[in-house]
Amino acid sequence: MQGSLRALEPSILKGEDKWVRSVCEICSSRCAIEVRVVDQKPVWLQGNAFDTRMHSSICARGLSGVSQLYDQDRLRTPLMRVGQRGENRWREASWDEALAFVASSMQRLKQNYGAQSMLFSSKTGESFDLLSSFAANYGSPNTFSHWSSCPIAIESALEQTFGERAYRDFEHADYIVNFGHNLFEGLDIPLSKAMARFAANPSKKLIVLDPRFSIMAGKADEWYPIKAGQDLAFVLSLLHVWLRDAKYDHAFVRRYCIGLDALKASLKETTPQWQERYTGIDAKTIERLADEIYRAAPRCILDWGHKATTSPAEFQRTRAILIANVLMGNVEKKGGIYFAKTPEMLNALIQEPLFPLLQSPYPTPEVGIARIDGAGEEGSAYRFVPKKHGVLNAIADAILTQQPYAIKGWFLTRHNPLVTVADPQKMRTAMASLDLIVVNDIYMSDTAMMADVVLPEATYLERDESIHLHHGLVPSYTMRNRALTPLHRTRSLHEIVRSLADALGFSHAYSWKTMQELRAYQAKGNSALLESLVKRGYVQATIPHLFLREEASVRAFCERYAHVELRHVLEMFERRRKTPSGKIELFCAHIEKAFEGYGVPCAVDMDVQQNYPYTLISGKSAIHTNGHTQNVPYLHALMPDNPLWMHPSTAKAHGLRQNDTCYIENEIGKEKVKVFLTEGIRPDTLFLYMGFGRQTPLLPKIDRKGSSASKLLSLKTAPVCGAMITNTGVRIVRA
Amino acid sequence: MAKAYRLIFDENLCIGCQACNVACRLENDVPEGVYRLQVHVTTQGVFPHLGMHFERRSCVMCDEPPCVSVCPTGASFQSKDGLVHIHESQCITCKYCILACPYHARFINPLKNVVEKCTFCFDSRLSKALDPACVSVCTTEALRFGDVSQENSAVAMLSRKETLLFPKAHLGTKPKVCFIPARKGVKV
Amino acid sequence: MSPMWGSTAQYEVIHWSWAIAVYLFLAGISAGSIIVALLVKWNRHERSNSSIWDAMIKSGTLVAPVSILAGLFLLVADLGRPLSFYWLLIRFNPLSVMSLGVLFLLIYTPIVLVFTLLVFERTIVKYTWLLPLGSFIEWVKSLHSYAKTIEYFLMAAALCVGSYTGFLLSALYAIPLWNSPVLPIVFLTSSISSGIAVNILIGLVFFKSTINTESIKYLLVLDLRVIMTELPLLGIFFVGLFYGGGEVSSVAKAALSHGGLALVFWLGVIGIGLLLPLATVILALRSHVYRVRYILTNATAVLLGVLLLRYYIIYAGQIYLG
Repeated sequence: MQGSLRALEPSILKGEDKWVRSVCEICSSRCAIEVRVVDQKPVWLQGNAFDTRMHSSICARGLSGVSQLYDQDRLRTPLMRVGQRGENRWREASWDEALAFVASSMQRLKQNYGAQSMLFSSKTGESFDLLSSFAANYGSPNTFSHWSSCPIAIESALEQTFGERAYRDFEHADYIVNFGHNLFEGLDIPLSKAMARFAANPSKKLIVLDPRFSIMAGKADEWYPIKAGQDLAFVLSLLHVWLRDAKYDHAFVRRYCIGLDALKASLKETTPQWQERYTGIDAKTIERLADEIYRAAPRCILDWGHKATTSPAEFQRTRAILIANVLMGNVEKKGGIYFAKTPEMLNALIQEPLFPLLQSPYPTPEVGIARIDGAGEEGSAYRFVPKKHGVLNAIADAILTQQPYAIKGWFLTRHNPLVTVADPQKMRTAMASLDLIVVNDIYMSDTAMMADVVLPEATYLERDESIHLHHGLVPSYTMRNRALTPLHRTRSLHEIVRSLADALGFSHAYSWKTMQELRAYQAKGNSALLESLVKRGYVQATIPHLFLREEASVRAFCERYAHVELRHVLEMFERRRKTPSGKIELFCAHIEKAFEGYGVPCAVDMDVQQNYPYTLISGKSAIHTNGHTQNVPYLHALMPDNPLWMHPSTAKAHGLRQNDTCYIENEIGKEKVKVFLTEGIRPDTLFLYMGFGRQTPLLPKIDRKGSSASKLLSLKTAPVCGAMITNTGVRIVRA
Repeated sequence: MAKAYRLIFDENLCIGCQACNVACRLENDVPEGVYRLQVHVTTQGVFPHLGMHFERRSCVMCDEPPCVSVCPTGASFQSKDGLVHIHESQCITCKYCILACPYHARFINPLKNVVEKCTFCFDSRLSKALDPACVSVCTTEALRFGDVSQENSAVAMLSRKETLLFPKAHLGTKPKVCFIPARKGVKV
Repeated sequence: MSPMWGSTAQYEVIHWSWAIAVYLFLAGISAGSIIVALLVKWNRHERSNSSIWDAMIKSGTLVAPVSILAGLFLLVADLGRPLSFYWLLIRFNPLSVMSLGVLFLLIYTPIVLVFTLLVFERTIVKYTWLLPLGSFIEWVKSLHSYAKTIEYFLMAAALCVGSYTGFLLSALYAIPLWNSPVLPIVFLTSSISSGIAVNILIGLVFFKSTINTESIKYLLVLDLRVIMTELPLLGIFFVGLFYGGGEVSSVAKAALSHGGLALVFWLGVIGIGLLLPLATVILALRSHVYRVRYILTNATAVLLGVLLLRYYIIYAGQIYLG
């Protein structure tokens, strides 16, 4: 291995040996890391202990950052299409030529069809903020993040219920109900570690509902193999029992919430007996759990998860879970859920600028044109979807019908919708009809195969980036510092966007040219902050954790800051919420008006199997990041494909044995799978890890290895939030 | 004074994420296709009464190592701290030690054609007072390493608190790697 | 959990392959043939000068050095780093059966060679190109008074070589099928059996002298005795494993019932190696038909059986680990 320490052993003595603190980006958890660099070569990675939650922990993927960096299969130079679109014939090009081509093509599209004819998409994060700014200055409203294929139902439900994001205090909870939030496979080290400690503690209790015996389920005190997509029925009956027995935090609900009566009316019929036929969990269990959970409140969390795409009722499911937390009165309690304490709030409270304020280096002017999916537009089906994020599932049809207006180009940065978005067959057809596709990525991808220009991106180890503010109990700041200069002829998105902005004539929109200028602008010249972020990669002031409804916590805070008045601390919670009613909304009147039956949790749209004999579900593994890391040598060696989990009784019914090949199909598509027999799944359910079944001939190691669940997913979205739905009905067909 | 190293693997904390596996490869430049360390995860029981078992597959650093006693050339040896190592130059690759190891921890390095196994990262880390790579990166801090003869070390304290199981203890190999068995799930 | 910890191929490698099985076979033949030759020499040769007994001694003294040298070549060639084999000679680990084996072989091989030279003295001096050996033989002959002592040493060394191959395997408690105290006895017995067979075979083919009904009958009876010892020994070996409990008994069951290896055992070791000779011997003794053909068939079958036993034990031990 080129980058390993051993390969460099003799040079250690004379060469430079340093640690660079940075931020990981092999997945979107973005953990704080430190990189050991010997002679300009990264040789080792570990957690950055300046983030005390990390210690030196890092996951297999994070460690493989070095393996990705030195992977011979990485894109090394700009490529331009030679043959037909998707034909896989390329020629190498210089950056000047590639960027000039992109700029002139974008200019041409803008002249002929308007700037809105260009779509822009990216993984959420800094690259998305940058790309959104680029799109807005170019004049297109059509920016897409990965939200609608992942957390949008949660973001929506939080927004509609609380008017802001909420966070979970796993560390201090006594009881957690987990609805398939797979923290032991979709890793976020601080969260996963807290959850592992929780699960290993015999005095705490973890309930897991998941159709599959996941690692999480393996750590549970009780595992319920709930029928896929039926979480809502479970929560509705739980709420029913609490309301029936008047077991909820009456004072809290009365004072801070709106819509209890509507909730009660909606849940009259959702008894424990009623939910049995949906979830497969018996009524007695519900009664017992309802009692246990309520007794554990408020140090109890019903965990709404990270990705919420289980059924069309996703908005309802997530709202029901949030409301269950509210009824337990765990809001702003230790071991419950809490809201971000922002730098502005804390600085105002303690009357000193302890937490630096940042200004965005990415100006994003309002475009004033409706989006292709109508997101955020009054009267549209996606009026409640944030304008910035959009609905990915709406893209294919919009391109194919050229409605509501001409759509001719797409700029994608590390976004691979042909793997991660439903119905890639249709998307491929739609992409084939575009005039311009630009893809910026580390590797060749299914989507890049369809591009006119492929721009090779530098990996996160080779990039300097801006300051990132993380919200939570105490704000923290991280900054990506590069461990080495880019290998090959790769560039960062910042460099690409800045060059294109120059060429397209809106250079003036940006007050920075280099990353140094960008950082200085963002930090408002706060060089102390920048210096410590360059040195430590992670900065957090130590102040007492503040749970606004936890007396001891508030008192401790006031003791630490003697000049802070108790009343001011308490007022932070008493303030008007950013919801239409100003309160926590158990019932959302404006949602009900637009989507009848969606204003308050009720039993709607829960069916995902749709008359097929089996439900196909999918999820993350701890080895790969969605559709991104399959080619990374270290990770590929651990997990080169994704066999289909199948219960032995199901296999027997179809005459299938371990490692047999068969097909799963529905009206959307048909996919070849290899059978993996396991007791760890419901007999009516099938499971695939995400990100396989690729079509990338330029990456022969992963081309057509394993199976893609996306190929069987419908473009229909969940009402209100526009979420993709990743559980679907299928049948098994023998090969 | 000689050290009494101990590595404790808490099955309750382990999530089978293979960070240890990859860290070992990166730190020790383990060639493709072979492993000094893997964590095998198995599901036991019959649906829906299941349990999950996490097994660390690696050298357990026996106090009474069969691999050392069978080695005809002394290439396999035990240091004064009781760690089992291999002198690469003296290994004739007769493979007797591979067969003698009840933990199947040894394999042939396909590039060097000598027998290889976990060293607790002795040269690159342990001798510099650093934890082995696997311990240092463990995502959930399921691995604890230290000198059990030091009363206040994390491993000594954990050893007093928990019931430790030593793999294949009946063989009398006295491993330095031990585990805290899972408290949850069906046992088979 | 579908596997995602990487390849497990390294746990399934057969580290000791056919070469080691053949080596064990050859070392056994070497020790067995010399033991048999010495026994015959001490008990028979004094009386009958030119008979099958003489042929068997000649055969033994020829087979023993050839097979041990061939075996040693295989052994070194099978090392991952054959050129570093010298470490075996300059290091000694008294706890290692392999080290002890090297010691035995270092003693055994030269003595066998000297013994062979002595036995074939008259043949050697006939050939002029072997003259350089002449002076060496002269020197050895000066030790002639110690000839008997050499024979005793040789017998002891042969017994050591014959049984160490069994201990080499049985010392490994990581391998349930090998870790049996009966295994060295099984190996020694079958070594002697192969020694008898090979001496008869080579003796009849190359040193054919007068052979009469009486000696054929005697050899057949000898065969019968060895087979009747080996069969129950193998029985005891497996019964012992069955009563080992836990994974040991499941390993024994698997090794006797699964796949091609079980076939090797039942058909090769038991069928060809033991039952076929047993049947021919009993048939011949009953019908009082003493033909050379029977003896040749028996000897070949016995040799094949002994080889397959080594092959079976080596492979089954490494495949069925419990």
